Amino acid sequence: MQSRDDLSDDLAAHFRARVAAEPELKAYPLPRRTLAVIAAWLVPGAGHLVLGKVGRAALFFIAIVGAFTLGLALHGRLFWPAADSPDALSHFDLISVLWFFSQIGAGLCYLVPYVAGWGTNPQPWASTYEYGNTFMFLAGLLNYLVVHDAFDIGAGRKR
Amino acid sequence: MHVLMMTLYAAIAATVLATVDPRTDTTPERLRHGLKMFGAFLGIGLLLSWILFPIPW
Repeated sequence: MQSRDDLSDDLAAHFRARVAAEPELKAYPLPRRTLAVIAAWLVPGAGHLVLGKVGRAALFFIAIVGAFTLGLALHGRLFWPAADSPDALSHFDLISVLWFFSQIGAGLCYLVPYVAGWGTNPQPWASTYEYGNTFMFLAGLLNYLVVHDAFDIGAGRKR
Repeated sequence: MHVLMMTLYAAIAATVLATVDPRTDTTPERLRHGLKMFGAFLGIGLLLSWILFPIPW
């Protein structure tokens, strides 16, 4: 029968072998990291592509661009910080600032339709209007997480 | 329509959240985590709708 000390020696050896077999986490060079973060914001998944994570890049692109496009197709609206009434506490209508912040997270998914004029005319009478908005908020907010993920991989904190 | 939208929403959110979660390291782990999250989103959504249904406002 093995003693307790023998067992802990075995476990330590097993653990050491496992750690040695795994490639070490390494930080990417600063220019590549910076490019990855900017690309990740502009085009969902592009940051991971810059870092060589092709599968994850494709997954993020399909999920986030798909969600934003679905939102637009469902008559969702692109928000822009609206000016509030002069006697209000803030210069901007705060809820529109929050909606704008969540949508702009999707980068070019927001900017291209905004410049093209798609989704800039609110259609609240459409039965799918709120669904559309919700999918666009989801896309933008998820892309913020994806940008952080690209940053973590670039900094060598994650595989 | 509403359940379809909720399912799509849950699928997209679970896919991305499971992939960026730092606690998962391999594809099978991410897949399991994503499926659990998807089930939780749907289950909690249905449970909440069932609880809120009798409320008239």
